[in-house]
Amino acid sequence: MPRSQRRAVSRRLCAVAVFPLLALAACNSNNPTTTSSAIKIGILSDCQGDFGSFYNDDLGGALAVLAAHYGGKASGSKPSDGMTGAKIAGKDINIVGFGCSDSTAAKAIEETRRLVEQLGADIMIGPLSGDEGIAVANYAKTQPNKTFLNGISGAQDATLKVQAPNFFRFNPDGAQWSSGLGDYAYNKLGWRTAAVIGDDYAFPYTSLAGFIAEFCSIGGSIPNSNRIWPPLGTTDYSSFVTQIPKNIDGLFVGVGGAGLITFLKQYQQLNGPLNTKHIMGNTFWPDPQLLKAIGTPMVGAVAASGIAGDASFSQTTAYKNELAIYPATQADAASVFTLGYWSAMTALGQALTAVNGDLSNGQKALQTALATTVVQGPYGKISLDSNRQAVFDNWIVQITAPPSGSNVPGIKTVLRVPKVDQTFGGFFSPTTPAPSRTDPTCTKKTPPPWVGNETPVDFSTGNVPY
Amino acid sequence: MSAARPATSAIASVTSRRIRITQLVALGALILFLAGAPSVVDSFTLAQILTKALWLGIAAASLIFLSSYGGMISLGQTGIYAVAGFTMANLVHAAGGKHLGWDPLAATAAGIVVATLFGVLCGAIAARSYGIYFLMITLAISVIVFYFFAQVTTLSGYGGIRSVTMPGFIGNPITNPVPLYYTALLASFFVYVGIRYLARTPFGLALQGIRDDPARMQALGYNVALHRALAFGVGAFIASIAGILSVWYTTQISPGGINVAQTINILIIAVIGGLYRLEGAWIGALVFSTIDNYSRVWMPNVGDWLGPARFESVIGVIFLVIVLASPGGLVGIWESLWDRRKRRLGPVEPSGVPATGAVDEIVDHPAAV
Repeated sequence: MPRSQRRAVSRRLCAVAVFPLLALAACNSNNPTTTSSAIKIGILSDCQGDFGSFYNDDLGGALAVLAAHYGGKASGSKPSDGMTGAKIAGKDINIVGFGCSDSTAAKAIEETRRLVEQLGADIMIGPLSGDEGIAVANYAKTQPNKTFLNGISGAQDATLKVQAPNFFRFNPDGAQWSSGLGDYAYNKLGWRTAAVIGDDYAFPYTSLAGFIAEFCSIGGSIPNSNRIWPPLGTTDYSSFVTQIPKNIDGLFVGVGGAGLITFLKQYQQLNGPLNTKHIMGNTFWPDPQLLKAIGTPMVGAVAASGIAGDASFSQTTAYKNELAIYPATQADAASVFTLGYWSAMTALGQALTAVNGDLSNGQKALQTALATTVVQGPYGKISLDSNRQAVFDNWIVQITAPPSGSNVPGIKTVLRVPKVDQTFGGFFSPTTPAPSRTDPTCTKKTPPPWVGNETPVDFSTGNVPY
Repeated sequence: MSAARPATSAIASVTSRRIRITQLVALGALILFLAGAPSVVDSFTLAQILTKALWLGIAAASLIFLSSYGGMISLGQTGIYAVAGFTMANLVHAAGGKHLGWDPLAATAAGIVVATLFGVLCGAIAARSYGIYFLMITLAISVIVFYFFAQVTTLSGYGGIRSVTMPGFIGNPITNPVPLYYTALLASFFVYVGIRYLARTPFGLALQGIRDDPARMQALGYNVALHRALAFGVGAFIASIAGILSVWYTTQISPGGINVAQTINILIIAVIGGLYRLEGAWIGALVFSTIDNYSRVWMPNVGDWLGPARFESVIGVIFLVIVLASPGGLVGIWESLWDRRKRRLGPVEPSGVPATGAVDEIVDHPAAV
């Protein structure tokens, strides 16, 4: 090697030597300083990626609980500005940081590790999306002395298969949110053979799996050829609409987001006005933007949702009032994201109070208390099953004619689906394949326990029992 | 230098001895730091900053190899390392994918071979293109790989492949990050030494000739397209090592981690470090992973336009400053500071390094960008 070149190389090696030391200095200047008795909580959500716009709604749902019940003072107008001064069972609550993921499992793990290993969080709340949830639940197994409460991620595997003993999920998974519709389709609408259509990724697989499990266990039929999976991000659904078989009794739609509006418009262009006895949707349907875009053709259609938008329980009002500290979050009170993070922090507050803030002995007392905690949610009680997964009441909602002076249809809750558990009465188990394009297979089994036990509700009467 | 007077030459020799001692000390400090890092830094920094910087650095090194020695700026490196990662993850025991249950080391070798062959194939397609067309073809490679694995659900799907089985010597990288750190360190060392060696082989020299003037090399009888395709294969081999390490690092791989944003991240790392300086790959990666982790803590909330969620904005500003102030990246800044110091100490020979130093010549050449 010529001398000049040798010099250039070693000169750069010097650079390589200096930069790690600078980086290390930067890292070490960042150690948290807290009182040792404080309870340190980290909150993980998505600030980037597909769900980044819900960041403050998520944080707001969790922090509003601290403000309403535990003396927390907001450090600014936005939840991400932080909160100080909260105390549970006489112990200071220190929010060590907010994790900022991007809906990928890799980033969720990095951010969780930053909050737990670098900032010293004792307890984690989060994450937001399905793949992140599975990754964080797996990570929880490596940290048995910390406690993890899910944010709003809804993949079935995170609790059913991973089964981390210190991972608690106070929100339903995607399949549970679809409960009650299989029964409604088979017994109320008389469907026998159905088709399903949904985006080609984890959440719709799980969401549609809930419908397929219930509908097939009663005796309905959804062969693999009747399951259509447009790629996520499809903008022209016409070729997928033409793939929907003609000899079916009904179609269950699990297309989400902006694609749902396009799908329903193109569906009508090819098939004429919606026949709401032959089409129904999942938790994406009771969405104000969708109702506004499609309008009156949707009137009469039913969908399932964990949120009964017209509920009038005292807990519903209390929940909305709790969110008042963050007006923007309160305006999105019907957001399932806010509700998930609110439920987690509410459960944590109750359990910490019950154990008097005791985090000793690997937080075993707290974890035992969490397993039996019941959250008085705005739309019903939320308890946990033996696998630390939420058991809750789901709601069947119907789209109603627009009120006078408006052309946007309304929503009315018509049925309560009681005590929905993750296994659908044994249809799903740790050994069944994860929901996918072809799973679950359509088989007749003992139907889930809620089938035939849904109760009609009418919130306008004001006497629906909690 | 032949015109230098004897007196000046003596001063220069003393100066250069002093500089060489400084260099040896710095090199020793680097080796000591890297070897002893696990006992100096906490496990979080070891895993999330250093190990991440090492594997990202290898990915960026594959791009810098192609750009500095071959004049090819490729956006396909992410796609290629994804092929290695997904191949390996499908072959071993895992949740999702084919989970064929191969031995992890055999699967690793298979992943590297498949990705290298894929790289040669892509190189064969892209080798006759230059400039923006080369850039677009390689970007298309990354995008195609992303959609392929996102949509072919038997091989991955959007959920990806999780709980990938590790080779025995890695163990569980989350509970004990030390073995993976040393593995990544060793891999980085071999990649660095390997590229420097390759640059001086007849193949490497021909490649640099092609970078500087493909027409003249063609006239001399060299098969330009073949050389470029093979160089792309070498770049793919390096990238595939990064792909394997990335799976070991997160114990999973999903399309979300190999999307267009990641493609751009690798380019940003290379540019921040120095697109024409091999060492820049790891420096850029270290800066990137440090900012990635810590900008979320350092960043104050200022209205709606600045806050912890603005990592991309921070890295974007750094990227712009680097591009405007020092096209040679951080290593370029370091070099100019070093040169200034040496000029102050005494006259020295110019340090023209045709292989990696002649930024302006490369940038001016139509084949380079």
